[in-house]
Amino acid sequence: MGLKILVVDDALFMRRMLSGILEEENYEVIAEAQTGVEAIEQFQKCHPDITVLDIVMPEMTGIEALKAIKGIDPGAKVVICTAIGQEALRSEAMGSGALDYILKPFEPENVKAVMRKVAGL
Amino acid sequence: MDMAKYRELFVSETGEYLRSMGESIIALENDPGNREQIDALFRHAHSIKGMAASMEYHSIAELAHRMEDLMDRVRHGVFPFSPAIADLLLEGADTLESMLADVAQDQVPTQHAAGLLDRLSGYQPPEPAQSAPASAEAPEETIPLAEPPEAKQEQAGEHQEHFRTVRIRTELLDRLINHTGELLTTKERLKNVAGELASPRLTNAIEDLAKELRELHIAVQNIRLLPFSSICDRFPRVVRDLAKKSGKDVMLEIEGKEIQLDRAILEGLADPLIHILRNAVDHGIESPEKRGAAGKDHSGRVVLAARREKDQIVVTVEDDGNGMDPAQLIATAVAKGMLRQERAKAMTPGEALMLTCLPGFSTAREVTEVSGRGVGMDAVLTAIKTIGGTLSITSEPGRGTAITLKLPLTIAIIHVMLISCGELTFGVPLNKISRILELERSALVTRGKKKVFFLEDEEIPLLSLNRVLGIPSRLPARGVVPTVVTEVRGRRAGLAIDRFIGQQEVYIKDLGRPLNRMKGLAGGAMIGDGQIILLLDVANLL
Repeated sequence: MGLKILVVDDALFMRRMLSGILEEENYEVIAEAQTGVEAIEQFQKCHPDITVLDIVMPEMTGIEALKAIKGIDPGAKVVICTAIGQEALRSEAMGSGALDYILKPFEPENVKAVMRKVAGL
Repeated sequence: MDMAKYRELFVSETGEYLRSMGESIIALENDPGNREQIDALFRHAHSIKGMAASMEYHSIAELAHRMEDLMDRVRHGVFPFSPAIADLLLEGADTLESMLADVAQDQVPTQHAAGLLDRLSGYQPPEPAQSAPASAEAPEETIPLAEPPEAKQEQAGEHQEHFRTVRIRTELLDRLINHTGELLTTKERLKNVAGELASPRLTNAIEDLAKELRELHIAVQNIRLLPFSSICDRFPRVVRDLAKKSGKDVMLEIEGKEIQLDRAILEGLADPLIHILRNAVDHGIESPEKRGAAGKDHSGRVVLAARREKDQIVVTVEDDGNGMDPAQLIATAVAKGMLRQERAKAMTPGEALMLTCLPGFSTAREVTEVSGRGVGMDAVLTAIKTIGGTLSITSEPGRGTAITLKLPLTIAIIHVMLISCGELTFGVPLNKISRILELERSALVTRGKKKVFFLEDEEIPLLSLNRVLGIPSRLPARGVVPTVVTEVRGRRAGLAIDRFIGQQEVYIKDLGRPLNRMKGLAGGAMIGDGQIILLLDVANLL
């Protein structure tokens, strides 16, 4: 079986689409979360190999969730999703321990390339 | 990448975001500094942008982007949220909704938004008036719309729930209830066979099956249930817009948002409720000046409440406006030739209020934004009857009006009384029957060409189902007369039949054309012995 992935986004549409792309590449999406709080819960419960984390979410932002996840497991592999125009947030996330970022709207080839790179790290 | 498979999800989820946006905008009008709502509004526009861009609906993404941008400036304190921003965003949300409707139809979303895009990005707050403090921003434009205190908790709870739910296509749900209905019919047939075979073992097994089926039936009905909030979330907007247009202050309170109703009933309820709410704002609530002069609070209050009462859902719309005067309604009906003087004299205040539901009674037949066609209270009444409900009105001049709707929990499976008339068997829904009688012929009184009988001192007309349907009776005119007492337009009437057969649970099916166009038939059903019966819609038959 492929690497285990936790997908975090508040929009079901985005989670489905991202999972669809990842499953084409034989990744196993083991859990989904729609808020930062749920992301942390699922992270502790499922121990994913890679967490793909949206930044703009209700309750707790992706950046806060990222910091919490890195606090739980400093070696956690986290990829963030950002849109064009969110450069400031992106560099904050990279500075907080994200390994790479995926641009929204998702381009399947971009998603696959980033995931391959992070999986090999 | 094949995006078509995501389209349905895109449409439903974007629709949900748009509804939430509408709620946030209105909440912000009331409380412009509410940080949570500002963030939510920004986030929802952001999400719609991202999803639309993924689907390559660029015109939708662009409009959502401009809305997100405007909210981003509010979020960063460039300028405060204002009624003008509310109007712009509501216009944006409406435009997105119509574009989404195009997408749902598999069409390229029409570009409606040309001028709007520039207005969104070019928004500048109005110059502060001479010496007015910043906080005094246009208070008279704010229409407070009360939110129940538990709303916040509800939202947090909702979030949790969303994650544990799955989306099911409504067609699938309909098929599920269809099969359950057929299973119930088959069970009744088995019961008949078991009775003929006189086999206790078979009868016992069928009893067990019946229990399981009952559980299944309840479970299937429950998944068809949706909270009342699924339709009433847009009502604050309707009330707000209308109040604004007519220069009134109106607070809408919604109670019982969590009450669960059958999807089909909710769908049939939305438009009538909007019309009733519009009436309350338009004709019920007075202008602030008039209210002040009458010693009332300047802002009017409309309460929409849903609650469960035994096996019914009761929905009420109450306003504290100027009410209706029965005498005046009667005078209007007489003047319009809709009511004869003699009848007018005998009319109770309750009956007089129901005059508003006669076709052509209302002079104010406005075009509603929702349905796009003129509807009056007569259309509301018809719509409520179609979903098996009843409507009643109470009103106190000067104090307000209350409209009460009583609705069944579900409409597909019902209890009927099976009756025979000539060679045919019919079903009459039990909730339409107020009494079942066996009248002695000696108790019948002839009034001209008509027969009447007395029940609790009330004189009730007796009609013959054979005559109404044009079916010759096979019974001799002797002995007792089996009679069903029902209510037609608020008055009791007796319906003489040939024979009562018994009660049964049936699954109603639409008759299909052309039978479904026949007046007085509510549908068809198969009963236990495999016979197909017609369901009588007694109110429209008589």
